[in-house]
Amino acid sequence: MENNEQLERFFDQMKKQDEQLEIPAFPEVKTRKFSFWIPTGIAASMAFAFLFIQKPEPIEPVSPEVVIITLQEDENQNQHFTIEESTFLDTWESPTASLLTEY
Amino acid sequence: MNRSQLDHILKAHHRDAYLWARQCCSFEDEMAKDVLQQSYLKILEGQAKLKDASKAKTWLFSIIRYTAIDELRKAGKVVSLMDSYDPIEIIEEVDGTNYEEIIKLLPEMQREVILMVFYHQMTIAQSAEILQIGLGTARTHYDRGKKKLKELITKVQIQEEYGK
Repeated sequence: MENNEQLERFFDQMKKQDEQLEIPAFPEVKTRKFSFWIPTGIAASMAFAFLFIQKPEPIEPVSPEVVIITLQEDENQNQHFTIEESTFLDTWESPTASLLTEY
Repeated sequence: MNRSQLDHILKAHHRDAYLWARQCCSFEDEMAKDVLQQSYLKILEGQAKLKDASKAKTWLFSIIRYTAIDELRKAGKVVSLMDSYDPIEIIEEVDGTNYEEIIKLLPEMQREVILMVFYHQMTIAQSAEILQIGLGTARTHYDRGKKKLKELITKVQIQEEYGK
């Protein structure tokens, strides 16, 4: 039979002393594993910020590219040229179209 | 074993784990906290895996011990194995109630076995497992440690009596 009384008494007293020790709280350990949500969150925030921070560009007036010159005849049989500027042609008539109908 | 089961095991042994970490770090509180945090990280990141839940405490103590050895090595406080067999004599007068200082006078391996058996109520076989040494070697450290500690306690008591 081992006589460990002296040692047991020593360790009992040591344990009593250790009861006064402040034990740190169990830590909330964050693992360093790659999380899918971190880059997704960053990308979503960036896209969101891009949409809202970007200023709308002013719409520049389109410069006229087509000049329409028409020859019109008034009630006194006088002919007048009218000149219009436009970005597009509504209708286009061939200058020789009259030949098809008149001849 | 999933994360919540591991959390449960770690929480159940948290107090003992901290005290053991402190004992492995020469009773330095801050180093013990760091060692414990690193040990928990190793476990939760899967670097250390528990195969047998009934050996949770032995497994946890082993991880803490090796983490502490790494930390002590970084701090340049490692005692070689040969040194641990050298007898340590009391140089200065030690207070009889300063149990930590008395324990620190034991050679490293003897101190660890003695602390595991008497303080943490483990068996010599469990201590051998934690220290990763044979049972016979652990028993030798246990016997020598016990003898040495008894001598130290007696010496301190005599010193106190003589001082009075």
